Amino acid sequence: MSDVTATESLPAPIADTVDNPVSGIDQTAGNFSYKMDYEFDAGTGLSEKTVRYISSVKKEAPWILEFRLNALKQFLAKPMPTHWATKDLENINFDKIRYYLSSGQKPKRTWEEVPDDIKKTFERLGVPEHERKFLAGVEAQFDSEAAYSNIKDIVSKQGVIFVNSTEGLREHPELFRKFFGKVIPTGDNKFSALNSAVFSGGSFIYVPKGVKVAQPLQAYFRINAENFGQFERTLIIADEGAEVTYMEGCTAPKFSTSTLHSAVVELVALKGAKIQYITVQNWSANVFNLVTKRGVAEEDAEVRWIDCNIGSRLTMKYPGVVLRGKRARGEVLSIALANDGQHQDTGAKMIHAADDTTSNIIAKSISVGEGRSTYRGLVHIPKTLANCRNNTECDALLINEHSRTDTYPAISVRGRKNSVQHEASVSKVSAEQIFYMMQRGLSEGEAMSLAVNGFVNDLVKEFPMEYSVELKRLIELQMEGSVG
Amino acid sequence: MSAVASVPAGVLDVALQSAETAAFRAQDWFAVLRQQGWHAFQSLPMPTRDNEKWRFSDARTLSLDGYAPAPAPTPAQAADLIARSRLISDAAGLIVHVDGHCVLKPTLSAELVAQGVVFESLEDAVRARPALLQEHLLKHPVLLGGDKFAALHRAWLRAGYVLHVPKGVEVKQPFVSVTWTLTDGVAVFPHALIIAGERATADIHDFHLSAKADQRALAISAVDIHAGTGSQVRRLAVQAWGSATQSFQIDNTCGGRDAVISSVNAAVGSRRARLENTVRIDGPGADVSLYGISVASGEQEFDQRTLQVHAAGHAKSDLLFKNALLGKARTIFSGLIKVAPDAQRTDAYQTNRNLLLSPDAEADSLPGLEIEANDVKCSHGATTGQIDPAELFYLRARGIPLAVAQELLAQGFLEEVLAKVGHEEAAAAVREMLRLKFHQA
Amino acid sequence: MSQLEIKDLHVSIGEKPIVKGLTLTVRSGEVHAIMGPNGTGKSTLAKAVAGHPSYTITSGDVLLDGKSVLPMQPDERARAGLFLAFQYPSEIPGVSIANFLRAAIQARLGEGEELDATGYYKRLYSKMDLLQIDRKFTSRAINDGFSGGEKKRCEILQMAMLEPKFALMDETDSGLDIDALRIVADGVNALRSTNLGVLMITHYQRLLGYIVPDHVHVMWDGRIVKSGDKSLALELEAKGYDWVKNELVPA
Repeated sequence: MSDVTATESLPAPIADTVDNPVSGIDQTAGNFSYKMDYEFDAGTGLSEKTVRYISSVKKEAPWILEFRLNALKQFLAKPMPTHWATKDLENINFDKIRYYLSSGQKPKRTWEEVPDDIKKTFERLGVPEHERKFLAGVEAQFDSEAAYSNIKDIVSKQGVIFVNSTEGLREHPELFRKFFGKVIPTGDNKFSALNSAVFSGGSFIYVPKGVKVAQPLQAYFRINAENFGQFERTLIIADEGAEVTYMEGCTAPKFSTSTLHSAVVELVALKGAKIQYITVQNWSANVFNLVTKRGVAEEDAEVRWIDCNIGSRLTMKYPGVVLRGKRARGEVLSIALANDGQHQDTGAKMIHAADDTTSNIIAKSISVGEGRSTYRGLVHIPKTLANCRNNTECDALLINEHSRTDTYPAISVRGRKNSVQHEASVSKVSAEQIFYMMQRGLSEGEAMSLAVNGFVNDLVKEFPMEYSVELKRLIELQMEGSVG
Repeated sequence: MSAVASVPAGVLDVALQSAETAAFRAQDWFAVLRQQGWHAFQSLPMPTRDNEKWRFSDARTLSLDGYAPAPAPTPAQAADLIARSRLISDAAGLIVHVDGHCVLKPTLSAELVAQGVVFESLEDAVRARPALLQEHLLKHPVLLGGDKFAALHRAWLRAGYVLHVPKGVEVKQPFVSVTWTLTDGVAVFPHALIIAGERATADIHDFHLSAKADQRALAISAVDIHAGTGSQVRRLAVQAWGSATQSFQIDNTCGGRDAVISSVNAAVGSRRARLENTVRIDGPGADVSLYGISVASGEQEFDQRTLQVHAAGHAKSDLLFKNALLGKARTIFSGLIKVAPDAQRTDAYQTNRNLLLSPDAEADSLPGLEIEANDVKCSHGATTGQIDPAELFYLRARGIPLAVAQELLAQGFLEEVLAKVGHEEAAAAVREMLRLKFHQA
Repeated sequence: MSQLEIKDLHVSIGEKPIVKGLTLTVRSGEVHAIMGPNGTGKSTLAKAVAGHPSYTITSGDVLLDGKSVLPMQPDERARAGLFLAFQYPSEIPGVSIANFLRAAIQARLGEGEELDATGYYKRLYSKMDLLQIDRKFTSRAINDGFSGGEKKRCEILQMAMLEPKFALMDETDSGLDIDALRIVADGVNALRSTNLGVLMITHYQRLLGYIVPDHVHVMWDGRIVKSGDKSLALELEAKGYDWVKNELVPA
């Protein structure tokens, strides 16, 4: 239980006294926290008790508790994947993390009802403003639960369901249970097992047959508490011929201790459906961001991940598409920016499981200072298939002398008339380019930002406008002070 | 290890290994090296599939049981195989081994001898040149996962050759080594130690052949190349062991400042063949080219692991591995370019191209980069696909039957690498082996 | 005397009909030109006759000396005497012209018959001289890194070596400067004989100044809309394709 008492007046944000020269200005937008008095707190550390506590405050059906307990067993049994991944994972202390913190399980439908300090948080982050301007619906998660969740009338009248995971499983089990945990089985990896044991929050979306949601649905994930682990769970089902774009953003204040974010996101695009999932990840540089994301595309369906990783200490995330129906398409567009003290270990997986399927991966990374970006890819075309195609391009830009990049693709091809093509390159911003721009009157930093934006420009174009502007700004800010 | 005791005399037999080692009592350092190999072998685990360095390999079927050293061939057998070893007419020297026994020692011209060139069997060199060998023999670390096999190679080290081209000596004709397996179930451990002094030039052709097309054998070979400052070393290695052979080839090359190194690894033989090829660039200005070419058929598995280490900056390395696959064959190409933190101005490239000529063949590609310096030009590319239908139609529109057209196109695909051999007769020999492979399949 | 008959031919790419009922007969010794704007089905006609797998013949027939070629594979059609000079010849790295042509000629010999290598090279070199192709080209890979003009000369070289009964020349003039065009045309003219029938496909009249046709056909929307002698080409050049559209196409 929290030992902080809320005062009459709004508490002042806790200023971040740690000077963070590298993550810099971009993170000040999210770098504040409020002292909260949480009504529900599962305490520190992870045990069966923690899991039972979470399940009971959510008043879950018995099968969900069973699902969670089984997942906990799998999590404990699985080793850390340090035989291929970074040893930095060993610095996560699962016993010091708080697994569930909330002020209630039912999100508010209007911002007026949201408690002041939480509302203030999201207002500072511009969420209600974005909602008014260009979103079809918003869910705003504060630590473990959604504080606010709303969907525009016009969209809900089409039968679109947009709720948090607790509500989704409780109120629409017939819809969601069929696919829940099916795209990403509990035991897929250690962190998917962890999420399955303690998940809370995240979005459950169903778009009925033929419904094309014109504006994006957005989720905003906010970590406020220290030593906290956020484990949201998202499941999006686009029924036959449906189309939907989902966007998520995330921030957290910078604490000196580490924070864990471990989500599971499952997408199901039924026949002819299209799902586009956009992430702009801007966690503070103390967050371990270990996320499993995968979509299934049935016949003629399309799943597209647009994945931008700017923040966090360590991100490990390889969005995947299982191309299960004929002519299904999968795409991953990935941008990663790793600054000092950051490791962006990202990539993509394309599992071809039907004839005539195509997949495309374009990954661009920028390493600044001593930052490290890693691309891991998997492309699999088994022997029973014909006419499958994959194209992969990954390009790395290294800014400073000791910036680092790694590329580890794995490509396996059999069958008839299948073809894959993989290309990767590493480059730097050339001194001549910088000189040219400086000669035209730009500062060195401005020149560098321009060059970097040029490097990612063709990918950023693919974003909805509001996001591409934001992303370019984030990149510019990250690049400040990177030269010299 | 109790399992070892139950095995009859074979490469896993401690008594046999000790007895052979005892023969080197007078060369104590060498006996120690062999003993170290044996102990390392016993302490290391067999690789498993979940080992990243063995990803995609069929590690479950790895077995070292049932192979043993074989006695020397009869003079008639030796004479026959020596005759079949004369593949290169302008050789500077030819050394021939059969089942791990040297049956033809090289004769060098008086001029080369006067220049201090050494080309002799490893056994002779162990006795005659302990200082040179102790400085260079098996000094490279094994980085690509074959530690256990390298240890067994060390434990049984005896066959092979040493080539030393001293400072400033340029030898234009190739040094040729032909290593045969003859007895079914034989285990051979051929070793090549190649030392090129400052500004020296050497061209080496290594042929690994079997007397019978379906020879069963275990071959664990290793080559250590030390290319000195400004030296030029070119090597062609041909793996054409019999079709029931398990082979492991562990190649290590170190290049000094301004060294120019080129290697072509051609593979057609073995049931399972693993190549581990590591090149380490230690000096600026070095220029390394690594090429691979194979035709895999039946149920063959060609497992190619390469590592280009740029420890020094201002150097270049380029790699191109091309595989043509027939039947149920599988190729694995796993390559890594590593650029050390201060190796600025590195140019490093890596390309793997696989041509699937059968729906049951499988090509796996793991092209990797680890770059820790920013002022570099690095790229890799991997493609796997079938014959281009437009090319096929073009040939057929000229009246060439489908099967012939496919073969022509597949050979054309491989020709790019053959052009890098740099020795017409050797290239022709390899071209013929590849052609036969298409016809056997 | 041979005869290539195209009878009411209909060709589709996928579901889309391109050639819509084309009839034409070419006899040995004749040179026919098919002219028409882009997208009218000229190249489709040539590729379909040669048996390209992307083109489906939905009805009609193509007869070579009275025998349908439609059941034949592309290489069988080629050996039967049909030669397609490609508009965009494939670049085939690693396969030298010499080896390629040997394989093509070998394929035309009977079982157990071996190519006479000396005679082959003698003939190859004389044809290369005729087409002003450097002899070094024999060891170069087919069309690999060739200029546009070199590719087209290489096509004519193959035609000269393979001695077809009928040559379908698909936009052979495209991408050629005037010198290259003259060399190619000289090469074709040298091959003109009573044993060869030629079907030239072209967008421009230019080529026809060098290779003078016996018959000219105007193609529009998958059909021949007008046939005549060489003066038709000049008329077409003067009046332009709008004339075809406005006056020749039945409403």
